[in-house]
Amino acid sequence: MSYLKTILAGTAAIAIGTAAMAQDTKVIGVSIPAATHGWAGGMNFHAQEAIERLEEVYPDLDFVLATASDAVKQVNDIEDMVATRNISALVVLPFESDPITPPVQSVANSGVWVTVVDRGLSIPGIEDLYVAGDNPGFGTVSGEFMRSQMPDGGKIVVLRGIPTTIDNERVAGFEAAIEGSGIEIVGMEHGNWNRDDSFNVMQDFLSKYDQIDAVWASDDDMAVGVLAAIEAADRQDVKFVLGGAGMKEMVKRVMDGDAMIPADVTYPPSMIATAIELTAVGMTSTAPVSGTFTIGSVLVTPDNAAQFYYPDSPF
Amino acid sequence: MSVLGPILALVILIVIGAALNGNFLSAGNINNVLSRSAFIGIIAVGMTFVITAGGLDLSVGSMAAFIAGMMILVMNAALPTLGVGIPIILLGMLVALIAGIAAGMLNGFLITTLGIEAFIVTLGTMGIYRSLVTWLANGGTLSLDFDLRTFYRPVYFDGILGVSWPIIVFAVVVILGEILMSRARFGRHCAATGSNEHVAHYSSVNVGRTRMLTYIMLGLLVGVATIMYVPRLGSASASTGVLWELEAIAAVIIGGTVLKGGFGRVWGTVIGVLILSLIDNILNLTDLVSPYLNGAIQGVIIVLAVILQREAKAKG
Amino acid sequence: MTAAPILALRGVHKSFGPVEVLSGIDVTLLSGEVLALIGENGAGKSTTMKILAGYQPATAGRIMLDGKEVRFDSLHDGEAAGIVLIHQEFNLAEQLTVEQNIFLGRELRRGLLLDKWRMRDLTQQYLGRLKCRIDPDTPVSRLSNSDKQMVEIAKALSRDARVLIMDEPTAVLTGSEVEVLFEQVRALRAAGTAILFTSHKLGEVAAIADRVTIMRDGAVVRSDMVAAMTEDDMATAMVGRDVSALYPPKPGVAHDARIALQVQGLTVPGHAQDINFTLHQGEILGIAGLIGSGRTEAMEGLCGLRPATISALQIEGQPLAIRNTADALNNGLCYMTEDRKLRGLLLDKGMRVNLTLQALARFGRILIDRRAEDAALAQAVKDFDIRAGSADVLVGNLSGGNQQKLLLAKIMQSEPRILIVDEPTRGIDIGTKQQIYTFLRALAASGKAIIVVSSEMQEIIGLSDRVLVMRQGRIAGTLDGDAITEDAIVRCAMGVGADPDERAA
Repeated sequence: MSYLKTILAGTAAIAIGTAAMAQDTKVIGVSIPAATHGWAGGMNFHAQEAIERLEEVYPDLDFVLATASDAVKQVNDIEDMVATRNISALVVLPFESDPITPPVQSVANSGVWVTVVDRGLSIPGIEDLYVAGDNPGFGTVSGEFMRSQMPDGGKIVVLRGIPTTIDNERVAGFEAAIEGSGIEIVGMEHGNWNRDDSFNVMQDFLSKYDQIDAVWASDDDMAVGVLAAIEAADRQDVKFVLGGAGMKEMVKRVMDGDAMIPADVTYPPSMIATAIELTAVGMTSTAPVSGTFTIGSVLVTPDNAAQFYYPDSPF
Repeated sequence: MSVLGPILALVILIVIGAALNGNFLSAGNINNVLSRSAFIGIIAVGMTFVITAGGLDLSVGSMAAFIAGMMILVMNAALPTLGVGIPIILLGMLVALIAGIAAGMLNGFLITTLGIEAFIVTLGTMGIYRSLVTWLANGGTLSLDFDLRTFYRPVYFDGILGVSWPIIVFAVVVILGEILMSRARFGRHCAATGSNEHVAHYSSVNVGRTRMLTYIMLGLLVGVATIMYVPRLGSASASTGVLWELEAIAAVIIGGTVLKGGFGRVWGTVIGVLILSLIDNILNLTDLVSPYLNGAIQGVIIVLAVILQREAKAKG
Repeated sequence: MTAAPILALRGVHKSFGPVEVLSGIDVTLLSGEVLALIGENGAGKSTTMKILAGYQPATAGRIMLDGKEVRFDSLHDGEAAGIVLIHQEFNLAEQLTVEQNIFLGRELRRGLLLDKWRMRDLTQQYLGRLKCRIDPDTPVSRLSNSDKQMVEIAKALSRDARVLIMDEPTAVLTGSEVEVLFEQVRALRAAGTAILFTSHKLGEVAAIADRVTIMRDGAVVRSDMVAAMTEDDMATAMVGRDVSALYPPKPGVAHDARIALQVQGLTVPGHAQDINFTLHQGEILGIAGLIGSGRTEAMEGLCGLRPATISALQIEGQPLAIRNTADALNNGLCYMTEDRKLRGLLLDKGMRVNLTLQALARFGRILIDRRAEDAALAQAVKDFDIRAGSADVLVGNLSGGNQQKLLLAKIMQSEPRILIVDEPTRGIDIGTKQQIYTFLRALAASGKAIIVVSSEMQEIIGLSDRVLVMRQGRIAGTLDGDAITEDAIVRCAMGVGADPDERAA
């Protein structure tokens, strides 16, 4: 419900705002993919929360938020923002890098501040600020954790996401980290960051292999499906499942010391909030904020889990 | 109409599966495949009637997600008053069935009473239900209370004599559907309506009511499928049931039902569903092809199954 | 006539699976001559025409074009040789305009763009030659059947056909339209075109054809100059038996016959106003009138098939209301449509499913009793003399006459006490007509009440005990006994004093 209200209120505020104080107010456009899966849902939540908070802190700033369910819609959103809202800055989390690059480039050329989040553009140097997630690092941290848990090696299966660069970088990082450790990846399939798909894939892995020591689910949504499949098959050989991203239910289980979920690896959807906030600072002060800001992937363990637990977030 | 095509395709798949992996024919794997086929299968049985009567429903996947979301919300909300127990599960099931019937009636009303193209109506409701569940979940995931889920879980995972409930429900739906389609007046009326609605009208068949009933029945079956689906993972989100509508339609067509209506067979639909599930299963169980090509393999087999049907038809 | 044969079949056989439908036929088309191909439904006329036009290959035998043997591998080969076939069910794209249809596949272009202006101009010329005043931009779906026929003929004109083959071209035309068509046929004949047509109306054959080829059971039984034969000769050759007694005798309706149906103030918006009539048990009531006079619509309204209002309706003395077809059926009132292919029968289904569709409730409450259905089909095949190769044949593959008999059998499954039949013998052969007339009279004799709606004047006159004539949605007159004459019906249908050359169709 608050979703709709925010957007309505935001739109109304902008309408009034542009009429009354067109000179003083700067508008920041935020363009992100729609909440079609868990991580994106969390990212949407953090974007809205950041906007609400920052609108109070900075009365001179207005925000326009648009969510797109595909790359074409996102291009349209960005064009609309420039044409009708006269934005001073654009915060964009590209749906896909290639199609979004040209329109963002033309926005940057017209003198608008551009902040790119998570997925980089295809041509470097367009953006003023790049708030990046660390996908190879995500894989590396996950791989190193596996290594530490299985010093004598073992057999694992891997569930991959939707075939994309992100997924490839993560898997490459993971494979590099476990190289030479004696850990063997016996099976690898796409679970598409989807609970149902990963449930089916894991069921089939369990039928196919008599011995699986651990699972790298690589994502918390997929971990949910994997856990359900293991539980249903009542298989004792699987010692633990490592997800990723930092879904609150999973962080909670780490915090509670669940043996099946000994850890999680962050890929925080809140990076969008960081990006919006840094952009707001750039718009309202002279503090230098340009450059690249990498948000590393951190291993969540029972010791530090409390810091990563956001009970109010939908993710 | 050819009987052989889809059965042949299914047999070939089973032989390939058994040859490639020893566990393929294990009770566990068979149980897995049949259980997960049950959702699409139950929906596809309803879809068979809709398509036979000359209609189409693209909204079933979104509808399933929406119904799952409604079930979870209502059950979580009722938890403080009802507590964990059978009444709350029954309440959830009732919500699913009522929501399914209501959603089917809405589609049916727009299509039969207002006379709007089925494709457009259900494309519209598909978007509506998908958005509604995203909105209900605030963009995230709706999860059933943990204790409730534990209590409800057996509805997916347990069964009688080692046969899980989804398989049993699926089998019952199929048997009733097959009888209704091939032996009952309703099935005959569906086929007549889809074959030529003017002839049906001049033959005293109530065309509007027949179509309406097919959509209501499909909605009800989506509700039944959701009842089986929710206990599996205990959650619903915007990604629940994505593309189920296309899988259900594909299964119906592979099974020999005519897409433009007029002829349908429920048992064929079952074969179609099994073919689709087995392709995924076999690809997971073996390392034959790059996982990137899974979709292509599926596409080739769907088209092949339909060609086999066509060839046999031309000969017979 | 020293004309040379353009197209000929020599000893042609055609089999579908084990069924031989043509057994060694010879047909010759001469340039500048009109050949009529006649025969009962199922005699093999349609197959013959399809082989002539290259739609279907012959199983054995030769096709001769200009004296040389040819093979038509496709319809395209036939068209390239200047042979055009006009189907009985039109071959027009309903959503396209008249002009688009006429030039379909052979669009005129100027550079890369369509030369729409010239195509429209030519279309207008062709239609003008046919005295047909339709706008070239009208979508075909909005045309009447007779206009569609004209468009088909215009299409053939546009192709400069050397051979024009027409499958029952007059079946859907009114009297004056038939005259226009015949004028065109004569003009084409004078220009040297070879023309072949089929018709069930022997009067037309006598009027327009030079030569007639008569088929029966897949063989040519006679081929002769028209001048050398009477219509009776033709009918006898077609049927293989004497059919001069086409209509059964009328015994007359008893004086004390009960009233089966009484209708007062039947109005179907846009089609019929204030129709009143009574119908007695044992009576056959004819309803005549021009096409478009509201006959069909009034009857459909009466039976709940389309929106209608009735001020008072009584069946066998009981006042009642009919809101839908189920109400009509429950009260023993049943309507048999004029359009067996689009409204009467499911062409892609077998005979069993069609037979029982309307009366399914009689074959089981929820589940259908297949055995009872099969028994009913066997009985119907026997009672109505339906000739189908096997019980599994798709109804679309039956000949028109057998389809019509199946339709009648289907309607009879619901055991109506009041039966309304609309164009009961349209497009079927004379032998089947006779069977249907005999059946209807026997039904009346058993106490049922029957309404026959027909455009065929002879049928109305030969069959009816009493005739209602409709004109512009109203009953223009009622004729009884000896007063039922062609002249009287035409006068009523046209309104007295109307242009006498416009004929009731």
